Amino acid sequence: MIMRAYAAFIYAFLYFPIAIIVIYSFNVGRYAMDWQGFSLQWYGTAWNNPFVMDALKNSLITAGSTAILSIIVGTAAALGMERVKSAVLRQSFDALVYIAIIVPGIVIGISTLIAAVTVFDLINPFLASLFGGNAPPKLRLGLWTVIASHVLFNLAVVVLVVRARLASLDKNLLEAAQDLYATPFGVFRQVLLPLLLPSIVAGGLMAFTFSLEDYIVTSFVAGPYSTLPIYVFASIRRGVTPEINAIGTVILVASFTLLIMAQWLMRREE
Amino acid sequence: MSIKHKDGKPISASKLMDELHRYRKGSVTRRHFLGVTGLGLAASVLGTAVPGLRPRKARAAISGTLSLCTWPNYHNQANLDQFTKDTGVPIQVTTFGSNEEMLAKLQAGGTGWDVFVPTNYTISTYVKLGLIDPLDLSKLPNFDAKTNDPRFTGEGTVDGKVYAVPKDWGTTGYAVNTKTVKNEMTSWKQFWDLAQTDYSGKVTVHDYQLTTIGNALKYYGYSFNSVDAKELADAEKLLLAVKPHLFAITSDYQPAMRNGDAVMAVCWTGDAAQMARDLPEIKYVIAKEGGEIWTDFFAIPKEAPNKEAGYAFIDFLETPAVNAKEVEVHGYPSTDSRVTPLLPDAIKNNPILYPATDLLTNLEFGAAITLTDPARAELFARFKSA
Amino acid sequence: MREISVRWPARQAPDLEIGRKQSLAPTVKRSGLVTALLVGPAVTMFFFLLILPLVVVLIYSFGERADAGGYAPAFTFENYLNLGARGKAFFNTLTLAPLATFVTILFAYPMAYFLAVKCSPKWRTMLLVLVIVPFWTSQLLRYYAWMLILGSKGVPAYLAMLAIEGVRIINTPFSVLIGAVYGFLPLMVLPIYVSLERLDKGLIEAAEDLGATPVRSFLQVTLPLSLPGIATGSMLTFILLMGEFILPAFLGGGKVFFIGNALVDLFLQSRNWPFGAAVAMALVIIMFVTVFAYMRFVLRKSGVRNVAMV
Repeated sequence: MIMRAYAAFIYAFLYFPIAIIVIYSFNVGRYAMDWQGFSLQWYGTAWNNPFVMDALKNSLITAGSTAILSIIVGTAAALGMERVKSAVLRQSFDALVYIAIIVPGIVIGISTLIAAVTVFDLINPFLASLFGGNAPPKLRLGLWTVIASHVLFNLAVVVLVVRARLASLDKNLLEAAQDLYATPFGVFRQVLLPLLLPSIVAGGLMAFTFSLEDYIVTSFVAGPYSTLPIYVFASIRRGVTPEINAIGTVILVASFTLLIMAQWLMRREE
Repeated sequence: MSIKHKDGKPISASKLMDELHRYRKGSVTRRHFLGVTGLGLAASVLGTAVPGLRPRKARAAISGTLSLCTWPNYHNQANLDQFTKDTGVPIQVTTFGSNEEMLAKLQAGGTGWDVFVPTNYTISTYVKLGLIDPLDLSKLPNFDAKTNDPRFTGEGTVDGKVYAVPKDWGTTGYAVNTKTVKNEMTSWKQFWDLAQTDYSGKVTVHDYQLTTIGNALKYYGYSFNSVDAKELADAEKLLLAVKPHLFAITSDYQPAMRNGDAVMAVCWTGDAAQMARDLPEIKYVIAKEGGEIWTDFFAIPKEAPNKEAGYAFIDFLETPAVNAKEVEVHGYPSTDSRVTPLLPDAIKNNPILYPATDLLTNLEFGAAITLTDPARAELFARFKSA
Repeated sequence: MREISVRWPARQAPDLEIGRKQSLAPTVKRSGLVTALLVGPAVTMFFFLLILPLVVVLIYSFGERADAGGYAPAFTFENYLNLGARGKAFFNTLTLAPLATFVTILFAYPMAYFLAVKCSPKWRTMLLVLVIVPFWTSQLLRYYAWMLILGSKGVPAYLAMLAIEGVRIINTPFSVLIGAVYGFLPLMVLPIYVSLERLDKGLIEAAEDLGATPVRSFLQVTLPLSLPGIATGSMLTFILLMGEFILPAFLGGGKVFFIGNALVDLFLQSRNWPFGAAVAMALVIIMFVTVFAYMRFVLRKSGVRNVAMV
């Protein structure tokens, strides 16, 4: 059937570049598109490269913190907004969520950089005079600024995902639960949380993945720190060895797994 | 490696053992033994050639990591590895293809760089912006101001204080693949004209306003550093006309030249030397209208987190023996006269590194104004966005 | 890059249980505090990390370029008046983005149709997931792969073997187009799939009973009803393409300049922060206008009352 053939073509189109990355990570030779034999050496090179490991460590710390913070803040906000009756407040909050998602990453990155630098320049002299000495505490760009800016757009995603799920819940169920449990917290713990858990976890997995693979925002606000995407980008610009393919394959496998889990969780409830 | 006797004849193994025996018995002095076997001479030559054997002042122990911001293809990886082996400090390398990008990052702050490589004309601006501090020359015992050509190194000193020490010097011309480009290339006029006609789609220029605008200005015979509005307008017209014919705008042009995507590229000395080493058909042209002559320096940003490692690294690379090994690999000539005798003849006679004096006379050093002039920056941005 | 499938809560039915409400009155104050605690962190983050930086950018956009680059406080409209200097970047983005979106629709629709209509339900979910997942894996690597495929050792080399010489694909608007279609195909497939799946198949049967040919029933029944899905996918793709920087940088070789590239250049090379701020503001405004237009016209037209995106 034409449709089946077309679908197969699309899958080939989608996965061919990914296959190239993966296959050439096992290439003995240095240059991609120039197959010379099978080898795992580049995985070893990457593993032994202290800068790759440092970038990986930073990426995992950032992504993990982002996911956890996004889940907590986002779910809380989604639940909290349910309780807000005022239409004006609801729409204002919606507007904020929308803005966080619509504003392009590059603008978020640049604006966070400018704002951070401006604020630091204002506060640091004050800190210096307060603490004095040779090395007063200084605010500077670091993993914390990366985590903060990642949480920003990921919490909006979590809010949307959890809110969509909340909206589809059977209202009778909630009312029955309210009759059973005296406190709203009881309702939350015994009824809402289990129902929302798949969406919350899915949102968290998405947040983790987006944070792990983000380049644009991170490149502006990371300061001296390196994350995997930053390392990969710099290598691609500079001249690549299959070490990058090896790193890439590992990233692909990891995010593939995480995202399939997220999708499975989200679709389970439909 | 055979041991040569004083008159050049190698000593035989049995004679060596004889003399050793006599020395151990005490029949001859050490001096005699060393002289006869030629070991003394060998030892002293070896001693100066191998960095590890050279006598030098003890270095303060350093730790942590070193973050180096430099240009593409600019170092001998073996030297970097040696530094890490000697000190235990791994080196993280970031590269940029223009001084503007380095300045932008330093201005934004939080780069984490311990050493970076600015070009001569930028140093006064860095000083003015308070981004670098004067260097503590006592921490750079292997740098000798007297053996460095002041013509090249003067700009590293501002108001009598040394802010940067020289790394190497070079020129900016263009590389040509003579297998494809059969014309006799000698001028910028040819470069820019042929880029639009015969070799359309196969030419690259630097992603760097100084050289790209500068060499466009040379097409008209204007100064490389001009900030005159009319001259810049002419240069812009040329650049915009050429842009559709370019293969890419990049300071990382080696891959394109090596695999044939590009046949002409605005190019620095060392890149040309590196490419010509592997592909003899690649020639380097210093155009007769002129171009850029420059010196690159090492400097330490004011907010560098590991300044001690920075000093140790710069001192290591300023050591003549190490510097010579750098030159052999990256192909940029050194400003230090102690380095030249240590280079192999092939390099000393390479016209890419050491061009004829008459070619050098038309070259200009970059001017500080080009770094800060908004018109040039904006022109280049318009060119890129066109 | 981000999937949005949302149903906003339906408008609340009027609360008839007044008695119950009154009995909760003493706890209203406490519940207000709880609400504030729940929503507070998010709002604070939005304020400090989104609104505040955007305000700073807005202020900067009225400033002047400092001597050596950066920001100098001032109040001038010059940067906005000068936006035309980046006209080509805006033009590139505003032409390639819609074109790429359109081409993506052409490729994505049949795929979505296959999954929603022709594919057996057993495989449907898994196949759909397989389409979506590449979208969320590392963008850098997928575009890098295309650099290899379209570079001189890739497709052109194979074409040369077929005696088609001198084809150059990389570093052209065409390669950026290919990269864009490739990158956003999954994002387009999902909403179209969802809206096709919700389609009442009975409608198509009814049309065919009334004598419509398959083509006509597609054009007059299926296509119009899947319009919301197309619109959502288009809006998302278009918005994300407008902000793209890596795609034109990798596949355009410095020759294809998008607004994103102009921004990176203005902040990280030419260092004209106020002008960069103005360009950033212009980009944000364009985005909002796009979304607003989408909300108003497309949703209104397809008869959807709430902001249901599919």
